[in-house]
Amino acid sequence: MSAGEVGLLILLGAVAFLDQWPAVQTMASRPLVTGTLAGWVLGAPGEGALWGAVFEAVYLGMLPIGAARYPDAGLAGLVGTAVALEGESAGVAPAGLAVAAGALAGLLGDRVSGFHRRWNGRTAARVRERVSAGDPSAIGRGIAGALARGAVLGAAAAAVALAIGLAGLTALTGTPWSGPLPIAWVRLAGVAAAAVAGLALFARAERGLVALGAGAACGAALARLAGAP
Amino acid sequence: MKGSAKPRARRRAAERRRIAGRATLLQAAWNYETLQAIGFAWALLPGLERLYPDPRERARRVLDRLEVFNSNPYLATIGLGVALRLEEEVARGAAGAERRQARLLKALCGSLGALGDRLFWAGWRPALGLAAAVLALATSSPWPAVAFVIAYNVLAQGVRWRGVRAGFAGGAGVARVLQDPFWARASAAAGTAGAVGAGAALGAGAVWAYGFGGGEVRAGIFLLLVALLWLAGLRIGSGDRRLSPVLAFWTVLILLSALFRLIPVLP
Repeated sequence: MSAGEVGLLILLGAVAFLDQWPAVQTMASRPLVTGTLAGWVLGAPGEGALWGAVFEAVYLGMLPIGAARYPDAGLAGLVGTAVALEGESAGVAPAGLAVAAGALAGLLGDRVSGFHRRWNGRTAARVRERVSAGDPSAIGRGIAGALARGAVLGAAAAAVALAIGLAGLTALTGTPWSGPLPIAWVRLAGVAAAAVAGLALFARAERGLVALGAGAACGAALARLAGAP
Repeated sequence: MKGSAKPRARRRAAERRRIAGRATLLQAAWNYETLQAIGFAWALLPGLERLYPDPRERARRVLDRLEVFNSNPYLATIGLGVALRLEEEVARGAAGAERRQARLLKALCGSLGALGDRLFWAGWRPALGLAAAVLALATSSPWPAVAFVIAYNVLAQGVRWRGVRAGFAGGAGVARVLQDPFWARASAAAGTAGAVGAGAALGAGAVWAYGFGGGEVRAGIFLLLVALLWLAGLRIGSGDRRLSPVLAFWTVLILLSALFRLIPVLP
Protein backbone atom coordinates (compact mmCIF):
# COMPACT_ATOMS: atom_id res chain seq x y z
CA MET A 1 0.00 0.00 0.00
CA SER A 2 1.59 3.28 -1.10
CA ALA A 3 1.75 6.47 1.00
CA GLY A 4 -0.69 8.12 -1.45
CA GLU A 5 -3.19 5.29 -0.98
CA VAL A 6 -2.88 5.51 2.81
CA GLY A 7 -3.40 9.29 2.59
CA LEU A 8 -6.53 8.85 0.46
CA LEU A 9 -7.93 6.23 2.86
CA ILE A 10 -7.36 8.58 5.82
CA LEU A 11 -9.07 11.41 3.93
CA LEU A 12 -11.93 9.05 3.22
CA GLY A 13 -12.08 8.26 6.95
CA ALA A 14 -12.44 11.98 7.72
CA VAL A 15 -15.25 12.42 5.17
CA ALA A 16 -17.05 9.30 6.41
CA PHE A 17 -16.77 10.44 10.03
CA LEU A 18 -18.36 13.79 9.16
CA ASP A 19 -21.08 12.22 7.03
CA GLN A 20 -22.01 9.69 9.73
CA TRP A 21 -23.70 12.30 11.95
CA PRO A 22 -22.16 15.82 11.99
CA ALA A 23 -22.80 16.84 8.37
CA VAL A 24 -25.37 16.19 5.61
CA GLN A 25 -25.79 12.41 6.24
CA THR A 26 -25.83 11.35 2.61
CA MET A 27 -25.02 7.77 3.72
CA ALA A 28 -21.64 8.01 1.99
CA SER A 29 -20.50 6.81 5.43
CA ARG A 30 -22.24 3.43 5.10
CA PRO A 31 -19.84 0.48 4.87
CA LEU A 32 -21.13 -0.44 1.40
CA VAL A 33 -19.93 2.95 0.16
CA THR A 34 -16.71 3.27 2.20
CA GLY A 35 -15.76 -0.31 1.27
CA THR A 36 -16.38 0.39 -2.41
CA LEU A 37 -14.35 3.61 -2.23
CA ALA A 38 -11.54 1.85 -0.35
CA GLY A 39 -11.50 -0.75 -3.14
CA TRP A 40 -11.37 2.01 -5.71
CA VAL A 41 -8.40 3.64 -3.91
CA LEU A 42 -6.60 0.28 -3.79
CA GLY A 43 -7.34 -0.49 -7.45
CA ALA A 44 -10.03 -3.15 -6.91
CA PRO A 45 -13.47 -1.45 -6.84
CA GLY A 46 -15.34 -4.73 -7.48
CA GLU A 47 -13.68 -6.55 -4.57
CA GLY A 48 -14.13 -3.43 -2.45
CA ALA A 49 -17.85 -3.42 -3.23
CA LEU A 50 -18.08 -7.08 -2.23
CA TRP A 51 -16.35 -6.52 1.11
CA GLY A 52 -18.33 -3.32 1.64
CA ALA A 53 -21.52 -5.31 1.08
CA VAL A 54 -20.39 -7.90 3.64
CA PHE A 55 -19.86 -5.15 6.25
CA GLU A 56 -23.15 -3.48 5.25
CA ALA A 57 -24.95 -6.77 5.94
CA VAL A 58 -23.25 -7.15 9.32
CA TYR A 59 -24.03 -3.58 10.46
CA LEU A 60 -27.49 -3.37 8.84
CA GLY A 61 -29.45 -3.95 12.04
CA MET A 62 -27.61 -1.40 14.17
CA LEU A 63 -29.98 1.55 14.07
CA PRO A 64 -29.26 5.06 15.43
CA ILE A 65 -32.56 5.28 17.27
CA GLY A 66 -33.10 7.00 20.62
CA ALA A 67 -30.07 7.04 22.91
CA ALA A 68 -28.53 3.96 21.28
CA ARG A 69 -24.75 3.88 20.94
CA TYR A 70 -23.55 2.20 17.81
CA PRO A 71 -20.17 1.41 16.25
CA ASP A 72 -18.81 3.53 13.41
CA ALA A 73 -19.92 1.23 10.58
CA GLY A 74 -18.33 3.40 7.88
CA LEU A 75 -14.88 3.21 9.46
CA ALA A 76 -15.37 -0.55 9.99
CA GLY A 77 -16.15 -0.99 6.28
CA LEU A 78 -13.20 1.17 5.24
CA VAL A 79 -10.57 -0.50 7.44
CA GLY A 80 -11.95 -4.06 7.08
CA THR A 81 -11.99 -3.75 3.29
CA ALA A 82 -8.49 -2.24 3.19
CA VAL A 83 -7.11 -5.10 5.33
CA ALA A 84 -8.92 -7.73 3.21
CA LEU A 85 -7.65 -6.30 -0.09
CA GLU A 86 -4.12 -5.74 1.19
CA GLY A 87 -4.06 -9.34 2.44
CA GLU A 88 -5.38 -10.69 -0.85
CA SER A 89 -2.70 -8.81 -2.77
CA ALA A 90 -0.13 -10.41 -0.44
CA GLY A 91 -1.50 -13.85 -1.34
CA VAL A 92 -3.50 -14.65 1.80
CA ALA A 93 -7.26 -14.67 2.43
CA PRO A 94 -7.59 -12.77 5.70
CA ALA A 95 -11.38 -12.99 6.13
CA GLY A 96 -11.38 -13.42 9.92
CA LEU A 97 -8.70 -10.76 10.38
CA ALA A 98 -10.51 -8.30 8.07
CA VAL A 99 -13.75 -8.63 10.06
CA ALA A 100 -11.86 -8.36 13.38
CA ALA A 101 -10.01 -5.24 12.14
CA GLY A 102 -13.31 -3.77 10.95
CA ALA A 103 -14.97 -4.49 14.29
CA LEU A 104 -12.12 -2.83 16.20
CA ALA A 105 -12.24 0.18 13.88
CA GLY A 106 -16.00 0.45 14.48
CA LEU A 107 -15.51 0.46 18.26
CA LEU A 108 -12.70 3.02 18.00
CA GLY A 109 -14.93 5.23 15.84
CA ASP A 110 -17.68 5.04 18.48
CA ARG A 111 -15.22 6.13 21.22
CA VAL A 112 -13.99 9.02 19.07
CA SER A 113 -17.59 10.07 18.40
CA GLY A 114 -18.29 10.15 22.15
CA PHE A 115 -15.17 12.25 22.73
CA HIS A 116 -16.17 14.63 19.93
CA ARG A 117 -19.68 15.02 21.37
CA ARG A 118 -18.32 15.80 24.84
CA TRP A 119 -15.96 18.39 23.33
CA ASN A 120 -18.96 19.86 21.47
CA GLY A 121 -20.60 20.29 24.89
CA ARG A 122 -17.79 22.65 25.91
CA THR A 123 -18.15 24.47 22.58
CA ALA A 124 -21.91 24.83 23.22
CA ALA A 125 -21.24 26.42 26.63
CA ARG A 126 -18.76 28.91 25.11
CA VAL A 127 -21.15 29.77 22.26
CA ARG A 128 -23.92 30.43 24.78
CA GLU A 129 -21.68 32.78 26.76
CA ARG A 130 -20.79 34.79 23.66
CA VAL A 131 -24.37 34.97 22.43
CA SER A 132 -25.40 36.14 25.93
CA ALA A 133 -22.81 38.91 25.53
CA GLY A 134 -24.63 40.05 22.35
CA ASP A 135 -22.66 38.23 19.63
CA PRO A 136 -25.03 35.88 17.70
CA SER A 137 -22.37 35.21 15.04
CA ALA A 138 -20.49 33.09 17.62
CA ILE A 139 -22.78 30.20 16.60
CA GLY A 140 -21.27 30.09 13.10
CA ARG A 141 -17.74 30.00 14.52
CA GLY A 142 -18.77 27.21 16.91
CA ILE A 143 -20.20 25.15 14.03
CA ALA A 144 -17.08 25.69 11.87
CA GLY A 145 -14.80 24.71 14.76
CA ALA A 146 -16.81 21.57 15.49
CA LEU A 147 -16.68 20.51 11.83
CA ALA A 148 -12.91 21.07 11.60
CA ARG A 149 -12.40 19.11 14.83
CA GLY A 150 -14.62 16.29 13.51
CA ALA A 151 -12.58 16.06 10.31
CA VAL A 152 -9.31 15.86 12.25
CA LEU A 153 -10.70 13.27 14.70
CA GLY A 154 -12.14 11.18 11.86
CA ALA A 155 -8.83 11.22 10.02
CA ALA A 156 -6.95 10.32 13.21
CA ALA A 157 -9.34 7.43 13.96
CA ALA A 158 -8.93 6.12 10.40
CA ALA A 159 -5.12 6.38 10.63
CA VAL A 160 -4.96 4.54 13.96
CA ALA A 161 -7.43 1.83 12.88
CA LEU A 162 -5.60 1.29 9.57
CA ALA A 163 -2.25 1.05 11.38
CA ILE A 164 -3.66 -1.56 13.80
CA GLY A 165 -5.31 -3.53 10.98
CA LEU A 166 -2.22 -3.58 8.76
CA ALA A 167 0.05 -4.42 11.72
CA GLY A 168 -2.31 -7.30 12.50
CA LEU A 169 -2.05 -8.45 8.89
CA THR A 170 1.75 -8.53 9.11
CA ALA A 171 1.74 -10.32 12.46
CA LEU A 172 -0.94 -12.90 11.75
CA THR A 173 -0.26 -13.84 8.14
CA GLY A 174 0.10 -17.58 7.92
CA THR A 175 -1.96 -18.30 11.05
CA PRO A 176 -5.57 -19.59 10.98
CA TRP A 177 -6.72 -16.02 11.68
CA SER A 178 -5.62 -14.97 8.22
CA GLY A 179 -7.58 -17.58 6.27
CA PRO A 180 -7.86 -19.85 4.40
CA LEU A 181 -11.46 -19.02 3.49
CA PRO A 182 -12.15 -18.66 -0.26
CA ILE A 183 -13.89 -15.41 -1.24
CA ALA A 184 -16.94 -17.38 -2.49
CA TRP A 185 -17.59 -18.48 1.08
CA VAL A 186 -17.12 -14.97 2.43
CA ARG A 187 -19.74 -13.87 -0.10
CA LEU A 188 -22.10 -16.64 1.02
CA ALA A 189 -21.59 -15.71 4.68
CA GLY A 190 -22.34 -12.08 3.74
CA VAL A 191 -25.56 -13.15 2.02
CA ALA A 192 -26.52 -15.18 5.10
CA ALA A 193 -25.88 -12.14 7.33
CA ALA A 194 -27.96 -9.94 5.00
CA ALA A 195 -30.81 -12.47 5.06
CA VAL A 196 -30.77 -12.72 8.86
CA ALA A 197 -30.64 -8.94 9.37
CA GLY A 198 -33.41 -8.45 6.79
CA LEU A 199 -35.63 -11.11 8.41
CA ALA A 200 -35.11 -9.60 11.88
CA LEU A 201 -35.96 -6.10 10.63
CA PHE A 202 -38.67 -6.68 8.06
CA ALA A 203 -40.33 -10.11 8.41
CA ARG A 204 -43.22 -8.52 10.33
CA ALA A 205 -43.79 -5.80 7.73
CA GLU A 206 -47.18 -5.39 6.10
CA ARG A 207 -47.60 -8.27 3.59
CA GLY A 208 -44.14 -9.39 4.76
CA LEU A 209 -44.53 -13.07 3.83
CA VAL A 210 -45.71 -12.27 0.30
CA ALA A 211 -42.82 -9.81 -0.12
CA LEU A 212 -40.36 -12.39 1.25
CA GLY A 213 -41.59 -14.97 -1.26
CA ALA A 214 -41.39 -12.52 -4.15
CA GLY A 215 -37.92 -11.46 -3.02
CA ALA A 216 -36.74 -15.08 -2.80
CA ALA A 217 -37.85 -15.67 -6.41
CA CYS A 218 -36.10 -12.47 -7.55
CA GLY A 219 -32.94 -13.36 -5.61
CA ALA A 220 -32.83 -16.86 -7.08
CA ALA A 221 -33.27 -15.46 -10.59
CA LEU A 222 -30.57 -12.85 -9.94
CA ALA A 223 -28.15 -15.50 -8.67
CA ARG A 224 -28.83 -17.62 -11.80
CA LEU A 225 -28.19 -14.61 -14.03
CA ALA A 226 -25.07 -13.53 -12.13
CA GLY A 227 -23.64 -17.06 -12.30
CA ALA A 228 -21.45 -18.90 -9.82
CA PRO A 229 -20.02 -16.71 -7.06
CA MET B 1 -47.86 46.89 -4.65
CA LYS B 2 -47.81 43.87 -6.96
CA GLY B 3 -44.31 44.73 -8.15
CA SER B 4 -42.87 44.72 -4.61
CA ALA B 5 -44.72 41.56 -3.52
CA LYS B 6 -42.93 39.35 -6.07
CA PRO B 7 -39.36 40.25 -5.08
CA ARG B 8 -40.37 39.87 -1.41
CA ALA B 9 -41.76 36.38 -2.09
CA ARG B 10 -38.53 35.51 -3.91
CA ARG B 11 -36.47 36.80 -0.97
CA ARG B 12 -38.54 34.70 1.43
CA ALA B 13 -38.11 31.61 -0.77
CA ALA B 14 -34.35 32.25 -0.90
CA GLU B 15 -34.32 32.62 2.89
CA ARG B 16 -36.10 29.26 3.31
CA ARG B 17 -33.58 27.64 0.95
CA ARG B 18 -30.71 29.08 3.03
CA ILE B 19 -32.29 27.67 6.18
CA ALA B 20 -32.71 24.24 4.56
CA GLY B 21 -29.11 24.38 3.32
CA ARG B 22 -27.84 25.22 6.80
CA ALA B 23 -29.95 22.39 8.22
CA THR B 24 -27.53 19.93 6.58
CA LEU B 25 -25.16 20.91 9.44
CA LEU B 26 -27.85 20.58 12.12
CA GLN B 27 -25.77 18.04 14.04
CA ALA B 28 -22.34 19.60 13.45
CA ALA B 29 -22.05 20.61 17.12
CA TRP B 30 -24.31 17.83 18.54
CA ASN B 31 -23.57 17.41 22.26
CA TYR B 32 -25.03 15.63 25.28
CA GLU B 33 -26.25 18.86 26.93
CA THR B 34 -28.18 20.77 24.25
CA LEU B 35 -28.27 18.03 21.55
CA GLN B 36 -28.99 19.68 18.15
CA ALA B 37 -29.75 23.15 19.55
CA ILE B 38 -26.66 24.95 18.19
CA GLY B 39 -27.26 23.64 14.67
CA PHE B 40 -30.96 24.51 14.93
CA ALA B 41 -30.21 28.09 16.00
CA TRP B 42 -27.58 28.52 13.26
CA ALA B 43 -29.97 27.22 10.59
CA LEU B 44 -32.68 29.64 11.77
CA LEU B 45 -30.30 32.62 11.80
CA PRO B 46 -31.11 33.94 8.27
CA GLY B 47 -34.74 34.37 9.35
CA LEU B 48 -33.78 35.96 12.66
CA GLU B 49 -31.46 38.42 10.85
CA ARG B 50 -34.45 39.63 8.79
CA LEU B 51 -36.79 39.84 11.76
CA TYR B 52 -34.34 41.41 14.23
CA PRO B 53 -31.88 43.80 12.55
CA ASP B 54 -30.59 44.85 16.00
CA PRO B 55 -27.85 42.31 16.99
CA ARG B 56 -28.68 42.56 20.73
CA GLU B 57 -32.34 41.75 20.22
CA ARG B 58 -31.37 39.01 17.78
CA ALA B 59 -28.93 37.56 20.33
CA ARG B 60 -31.73 37.47 22.91
CA ARG B 61 -33.95 35.47 20.55
CA VAL B 62 -31.06 33.18 19.54
CA LEU B 63 -30.48 32.38 23.23
CA ASP B 64 -33.99 30.90 23.43
CA ARG B 65 -33.12 28.53 20.60
CA LEU B 66 -29.90 27.42 22.31
CA GLU B 67 -31.76 25.58 25.10
CA VAL B 68 -32.40 22.00 23.89
CA PHE B 69 -33.59 20.61 20.58
CA ASN B 70 -33.44 17.09 19.20
CA SER B 71 -35.22 15.49 16.32
CA ASN B 72 -34.62 13.39 13.24
CA PRO B 73 -32.02 15.32 11.17
CA TYR B 74 -34.01 15.14 7.93
CA LEU B 75 -37.39 16.07 9.38
CA ALA B 76 -36.00 18.80 11.64
CA THR B 77 -36.50 21.26 8.77
CA ILE B 78 -40.26 21.05 9.42
CA GLY B 79 -39.51 22.27 12.95
CA LEU B 80 -37.36 25.06 11.49
CA GLY B 81 -40.25 26.18 9.26
CA VAL B 82 -42.64 26.20 12.23
CA ALA B 83 -40.11 28.11 14.37
CA LEU B 84 -39.69 30.73 11.63
CA ARG B 85 -43.43 31.18 11.19
CA LEU B 86 -43.99 31.60 14.94
CA GLU B 87 -40.91 33.83 15.21
CA GLU B 88 -42.65 36.24 12.83
CA GLU B 89 -45.56 36.35 15.30
CA VAL B 90 -43.11 36.97 18.17
CA ALA B 91 -41.47 39.80 16.20
CA ARG B 92 -44.92 41.31 15.52
CA GLY B 93 -45.54 41.23 19.27
CA ALA B 94 -48.48 38.77 19.18
CA ALA B 95 -49.71 37.91 22.68
CA GLY B 96 -48.36 34.56 24.01
CA ALA B 97 -46.43 33.84 20.79
CA GLU B 98 -43.12 33.14 22.59
CA ARG B 99 -44.75 30.64 24.95
CA ARG B 100 -46.65 29.00 22.07
CA GLN B 101 -43.47 28.65 20.06
CA ALA B 102 -41.54 27.05 22.93
CA ARG B 103 -44.37 24.61 23.65
CA LEU B 104 -44.82 23.62 20.02
CA LEU B 105 -41.09 23.08 19.38
CA LYS B 106 -40.87 20.88 22.47
CA ALA B 107 -43.78 18.78 21.22
CA LEU B 108 -42.31 18.60 17.72
CA CYS B 109 -39.01 17.14 18.99
CA GLY B 110 -40.75 13.89 19.94
CA SER B 111 -43.14 13.57 17.02
CA LEU B 112 -40.64 14.52 14.28
CA GLY B 113 -38.05 12.25 15.89
CA ALA B 114 -40.38 9.25 16.03
CA LEU B 115 -41.68 9.80 12.50
CA GLY B 116 -38.21 10.28 11.00
CA ASP B 117 -36.63 7.39 12.88
CA ARG B 118 -39.33 5.02 11.66
CA LEU B 119 -39.16 6.29 8.09
CA PHE B 120 -35.40 6.67 7.63
CA TRP B 121 -33.38 4.83 10.29
CA ALA B 122 -35.62 1.78 10.67
CA GLY B 123 -37.16 1.94 7.18
CA TRP B 124 -35.49 3.21 4.05
CA ARG B 125 -31.86 3.07 5.13
CA PRO B 126 -31.81 -0.65 6.00
CA ALA B 127 -34.22 -1.54 3.17
CA LEU B 128 -32.13 0.16 0.49
CA GLY B 129 -28.87 -0.92 2.14
CA LEU B 130 -30.05 -4.53 2.15
CA ALA B 131 -31.09 -4.46 -1.51
CA ALA B 132 -27.82 -2.76 -2.54
CA ALA B 133 -25.73 -5.18 -0.45
CA VAL B 134 -27.41 -8.23 -2.03
CA LEU B 135 -26.85 -6.75 -5.51
CA ALA B 136 -23.20 -5.95 -4.72
CA LEU B 137 -22.67 -9.47 -3.34
CA ALA B 138 -24.22 -10.90 -6.51
CA THR B 139 -22.35 -8.78 -9.02
CA SER B 140 -19.14 -7.53 -7.29
CA SER B 141 -19.91 -4.21 -8.93
CA PRO B 142 -19.54 -0.72 -7.42
CA TRP B 143 -22.79 0.45 -9.04
CA PRO B 144 -25.16 -0.81 -6.30
CA ALA B 145 -23.34 1.51 -3.86
CA VAL B 146 -23.87 4.46 -6.23
CA ALA B 147 -27.54 3.56 -6.71
CA PHE B 148 -28.00 3.24 -2.92
CA VAL B 149 -26.65 6.74 -2.26
CA ILE B 150 -28.75 8.30 -5.05
CA ALA B 151 -31.98 6.51 -4.10
CA TYR B 152 -31.63 7.27 -0.39
CA ASN B 153 -30.88 10.94 -0.95
CA VAL B 154 -33.74 11.50 -3.37
CA LEU B 155 -36.05 10.77 -0.45
CA ALA B 156 -34.03 12.04 2.53
CA GLN B 157 -32.68 15.28 1.08
CA GLY B 158 -35.99 15.84 -0.72
CA VAL B 159 -37.82 15.75 2.61
CA ARG B 160 -35.14 17.98 4.14
CA TRP B 161 -35.41 20.62 1.39
CA ARG B 162 -39.23 20.68 1.38
CA GLY B 163 -39.49 20.60 5.16
CA VAL B 164 -38.93 24.31 5.85
CA ARG B 165 -41.63 25.30 3.40
CA ALA B 166 -44.08 22.70 4.75
CA GLY B 167 -43.43 23.70 8.36
CA PHE B 168 -43.72 27.41 7.55
CA ALA B 169 -47.01 26.86 5.70
CA GLY B 170 -48.36 24.69 8.55
CA GLY B 171 -47.26 26.99 11.38
CA ALA B 172 -49.13 26.20 14.58
CA GLY B 173 -51.29 23.76 12.59
CA VAL B 174 -48.29 21.62 11.65
CA ALA B 175 -50.06 18.51 12.96
CA ARG B 176 -51.83 18.38 9.57
CA VAL B 177 -48.44 17.97 7.85
CA LEU B 178 -47.48 15.15 10.22
CA GLN B 179 -50.82 13.38 9.71
CA ASP B 180 -50.37 13.32 5.93
CA PRO B 181 -50.82 9.73 4.67
CA PHE B 182 -47.49 10.09 2.81
CA TRP B 183 -45.52 9.22 5.97
CA ALA B 184 -47.43 6.02 6.72
CA ARG B 185 -47.32 4.93 3.07
CA ALA B 186 -43.58 5.62 2.79
CA SER B 187 -42.86 3.63 6.00
CA ALA B 188 -45.00 0.71 4.81
CA ALA B 189 -43.28 0.75 1.42
CA ALA B 190 -39.87 0.63 3.13
CA GLY B 191 -41.01 -2.40 5.15
CA THR B 192 -42.18 -4.20 2.00
CA ALA B 193 -38.96 -3.32 0.15
CA GLY B 194 -36.93 -4.60 3.10
CA ALA B 195 -38.86 -7.89 3.17
CA VAL B 196 -38.26 -8.29 -0.59
CA GLY B 197 -34.53 -7.66 0.06
CA ALA B 198 -34.44 -10.28 2.85
CA GLY B 199 -36.19 -12.78 0.58
CA ALA B 200 -33.76 -11.97 -2.24
CA ALA B 201 -30.81 -12.68 0.05
CA LEU B 202 -32.28 -16.05 1.02
CA GLY B 203 -33.12 -16.96 -2.59
CA ALA B 204 -29.72 -15.90 -3.96
CA GLY B 205 -27.88 -17.67 -1.15
CA ALA B 206 -29.81 -20.90 -1.68
CA VAL B 207 -29.12 -20.90 -5.45
CA TRP B 208 -25.43 -20.14 -4.97
CA ALA B 209 -25.08 -22.76 -2.29
CA TYR B 210 -26.93 -25.53 -4.11
CA GLY B 211 -26.99 -24.69 -7.77
CA PHE B 212 -23.34 -24.31 -8.70
CA GLY B 213 -21.77 -27.66 -7.97
CA GLY B 214 -21.85 -27.39 -4.21
CA GLY B 215 -24.84 -29.69 -3.75
CA GLU B 216 -26.29 -30.65 -0.42
CA VAL B 217 -23.12 -30.03 1.62
CA ARG B 218 -22.80 -26.42 0.59
CA ALA B 219 -26.57 -25.82 0.85
CA GLY B 220 -26.46 -27.34 4.34
CA ILE B 221 -23.59 -25.07 5.35
CA PHE B 222 -25.49 -22.02 4.07
CA LEU B 223 -28.59 -22.96 6.08
CA LEU B 224 -26.37 -23.58 9.10
CA LEU B 225 -24.85 -20.10 8.65
CA VAL B 226 -28.31 -18.53 8.58
CA ALA B 227 -29.38 -20.52 11.65
CA LEU B 228 -26.20 -19.70 13.60
CA LEU B 229 -26.40 -15.98 12.81
CA TRP B 230 -30.11 -15.94 13.71
CA LEU B 231 -29.50 -17.72 17.01
CA ALA B 232 -26.52 -15.49 17.82
CA GLY B 233 -28.55 -12.39 17.07
CA LEU B 234 -31.64 -13.37 19.01
CA ARG B 235 -30.92 -16.00 21.61
CA ILE B 236 -27.30 -16.16 22.73
CA GLY B 237 -26.45 -14.18 25.84
CA SER B 238 -28.18 -14.01 29.18
CA GLY B 239 -31.73 -12.71 29.41
CA ASP B 240 -32.73 -10.62 26.44
CA ARG B 241 -29.15 -9.67 25.51
CA ARG B 242 -28.00 -10.19 21.97
CA LEU B 243 -24.55 -11.17 20.83
CA SER B 244 -23.18 -8.30 18.78
CA PRO B 245 -23.84 -9.03 15.08
CA VAL B 246 -20.19 -8.29 14.32
CA LEU B 247 -18.98 -10.78 16.92
CA ALA B 248 -21.51 -13.35 15.68
CA PHE B 249 -20.37 -12.91 12.08
CA TRP B 250 -16.69 -13.07 13.05
CA THR B 251 -17.30 -16.29 15.00
CA VAL B 252 -19.08 -17.80 12.02
CA LEU B 253 -16.18 -16.87 9.70
CA ILE B 254 -13.64 -18.39 12.08
CA LEU B 255 -15.74 -21.57 12.29
CA LEU B 256 -15.90 -21.70 8.49
CA SER B 257 -12.14 -21.14 8.24
CA ALA B 258 -11.54 -23.95 10.72
CA LEU B 259 -13.89 -26.18 8.70
CA PHE B 260 -11.86 -25.48 5.59
CA ARG B 261 -8.63 -26.32 7.40
CA LEU B 262 -10.11 -29.62 8.61
CA ILE B 263 -11.88 -30.54 5.33
CA PRO B 264 -9.93 -28.80 2.53
CA VAL B 265 -11.93 -30.62 -0.20
CA LEU B 266 -15.16 -28.78 0.67
CA PRO B 267 -16.92 -27.54 -2.48
